[in-house]
Amino acid sequence: MHVLVVEDDERVASHVVKGFRAQGWHVDHVADGRQALFQVAAETYDVVVLDRMLPNVDGLKILQTMRASEDSTPVLILSALGDVDNRVRGLRAGGDDYLAKPFAFSELLARVEALSRRKGAVQETAELGLADLHMTLLSRTVTRSDQVIDLTTREFALLEFLLRNAGRVVSRSMLLEAVWDYNFDPQTNIIDQHVSRLRAKIDKGFSPPLLQTIRGMGYALRP
Amino acid sequence: MKRPWFLRSLTVRLTLVYMALFCGSIGLMLTATYVIGVWRPLHSVRATIAQESDQLAATYQAGGRDALIRALQRREALHAARYPYHVLTAAGGAVVSANLVDWPRRSGGEWVRYEFGTYATGAEEEHEAVMRDLALPGGYRLLVGRDTEDLDEREDLIVEALTWGAAMSVLFGLLGGLVMTRAVSQRLERINRAARAVIAGDLSGRIALHGAGDDFDQLSETLNEMLSRIEGLVASIARVSDSIAHDLRTPLTRLRAELEELVAAPDPGEAQDRAFAALEEAARLQSMFEALLRIARLKDASSESHGLVDLSRLLEDAVELHQPAAEERPLGFITQIAPGLVIRGDRDLIFQLVSNLLDNAIKFTPPGGVIYLEGRAGRDRTNVVVADNGPGVPAEDRARVLERFYRGKGEGGGFGLGLSLVAAAAERHKATLSLDDAGPGLRVTVSFPA
Repeated sequence: MHVLVVEDDERVASHVVKGFRAQGWHVDHVADGRQALFQVAAETYDVVVLDRMLPNVDGLKILQTMRASEDSTPVLILSALGDVDNRVRGLRAGGDDYLAKPFAFSELLARVEALSRRKGAVQETAELGLADLHMTLLSRTVTRSDQVIDLTTREFALLEFLLRNAGRVVSRSMLLEAVWDYNFDPQTNIIDQHVSRLRAKIDKGFSPPLLQTIRGMGYALRP
Repeated sequence: MKRPWFLRSLTVRLTLVYMALFCGSIGLMLTATYVIGVWRPLHSVRATIAQESDQLAATYQAGGRDALIRALQRREALHAARYPYHVLTAAGGAVVSANLVDWPRRSGGEWVRYEFGTYATGAEEEHEAVMRDLALPGGYRLLVGRDTEDLDEREDLIVEALTWGAAMSVLFGLLGGLVMTRAVSQRLERINRAARAVIAGDLSGRIALHGAGDDFDQLSETLNEMLSRIEGLVASIARVSDSIAHDLRTPLTRLRAELEELVAAPDPGEAQDRAFAALEEAARLQSMFEALLRIARLKDASSESHGLVDLSRLLEDAVELHQPAAEERPLGFITQIAPGLVIRGDRDLIFQLVSNLLDNAIKFTPPGGVIYLEGRAGRDRTNVVVADNGPGVPAEDRARVLERFYRGKGEGGGFGLGLSLVAAAAERHKATLSLDDAGPGLRVTVSFPA
C-alpha cells in the first residue's frame, strides 16, 4: 500500500510513518502544504493522511485542489480542531474521514485501512472468519467450531466490524460510529455491555478466547 | 488622501454640505425671481423701444428733422406706463430736442442702461432707463429710451437679498455646525472613553446613556449589551480554565505516577501493567479534554452542521444502546416514543445529549429502579423526557448540576461534564432544559423548537 502522510509536526509524523512502515507499507512524508500539492499531483496514492493546519497551504485547500482536479484518492483529515463544525467542513470539502488529535495510532491505522478497502471495495466478501469462528454475510449466520451462534442484528454488525478489523485494536468510538452510526466519544461503559454480551456468545465454552479487551484503547479480535 | 483638520469631523463635513445645499437653493430661488421680475420685463421694454425707434427713424427719412421733432413731442405727450425719454443731437453735439439733462455723451454700443438724475416729475429723482443709441443720416444722433427705475430697484433688492441670505446662512450654518459638532462629539467621546477603558482591560465599564432614547442611546445600549456578553464569556472562560487547571491536575499526577513506576519497574510484566495503566489515564484525560472543548465550542459555534433529524429513530437507537447497561444494574426501562418525530439539528450532538441523560439516569438510580424515556410532539415544540425514580437532585442543587465539573455526592466515575454538555447542546439547538422532581427521582425535559 502506498500512503502519503502530510503532517508538519516532526514527532507526530515520525510516529505515524514508523507505524505505517511496520505494516509493510510504502510511506511518503511531506511537512509543508506546497510540497503536498506537488506530491499528490506527481504520485498516485492509495490513501492520503492530511493534517489540517499546515505551513504555506491550508489542508482544506489541498483537499479542494485535489477534488477540483478530479483526484478521488481517499483522504483522511487529521486535525487538532475536533469539534462538530470543523468535522463537517472537512467532510464537505471532500474528505473521506476525519480524526481529531490526539488520537490512538491503532485507530488511525484502522481508519486508513478502512479507506483503502473502500477504494477497491466493490468485490464484496461473502465470508469472514478468524480461527474456528465463521461468518456468512448473505445468510447472516455465525458458527464457531461448527456450532451455530444466535446473534441479534446489532451483535451481528458488531462482530462483522470486529472481524473486518481482525487483529487490530478498535476504539469504542469507532464501534459506535461503525455499528450505530453516531459519532461521539462515549465516556461510559455503554459499549462495554454490548461487547461483553457478544463475548458471552462467541467465547463462552470455546477456546481460545478471541474477543480481547485492550486496556486504555478498546477491543481486538485475535486468536 | 489626508483631509485638512477642519474637515476630519463628519459633523463639520455634513454641516458644510448642508450649507452649500441651502445657499444653492436660495440662489436658485432668487435667480427664478430675477428672470421673471427683471429680465423678462427688460426684454419687453427693449422690444417696445426697438419698434418705436424704427418708426422714428422712418419718420426722419420721410419728413426730415422737423417731422422727427414733432413725432418726439407727440411721443412725450402720450401718457405711457414707462416714461419715454429722448435726446436728439446734431452733428457736433448741439442739442436739437431732449427731455433729459444728462445722457451718455459718447456712444457705447447700440443698447445702453443709463442712470441719471431727472426732474421729470418736478423733484430731483434717481432714474434709470434703457435706451437705444441710433445714428441718423446728416450727423444726427438719436437716443430713444424708457424709464426702468422700478426694474432697477427690483434688481438691487434681489442682489441684496442674495448677499444677505448667503451671509446669514453661512453664519447660522457655521454656528449650528459648531453646536452640532460639539454635541455629537461629546456623545461620541463617551463611547470612545468606554471603548478605551475596555482596551485598557477593564471590561466592566459601560457607556453612560443620555436618556433621550435617540440613535446614540440605541447604539450605546447595543454596545453595552455586547460588552456584557463579552464580559460573560470572558468570565466563563476564566472559570473554566480555573476548573481545568484544578481538575486536570489529578489525572496528570496519576499519569505521572504510572510513568515513574514504569521507569522503575523491576520486571517486564510489571512494566507492561504500568504502561497500560498510563495509557488508560491518557485516554481519560483525552476524553475529558474533548468533552470540555466540545462544550466550549458549542457555546459559540455556528450551526452549519444542522439538518433534519429523525428523532423517533434516534431515541429508539439510544434505548437500544443503553438497554444492556440498564439490564446489568438491573433497572427497568420504560419508553414511550411517538412515531415520526422530526427536528432540526445536529444528529450526533442530539444523540450524545440523550445518551448522557440516560447514562446519568442509569448511574444514579439504585438497582431495581426504573428509567423512563419519552419522545412527544407538543403544539409547537418537541419534548424529550428522561426520568428515573432514584434519589433525584435537591431543588437547591439543580442549577449547579449543569455547571462544568459539578459532581453529585457519593459517586465515582464521570468528570462532572455530562450534564453541562447536555446544557450546551440544548442551548445550541435553542432547546430549553428543565430539571424537576419526579417524586421520587429526577425528571429532565429537553424541549426543542419545532
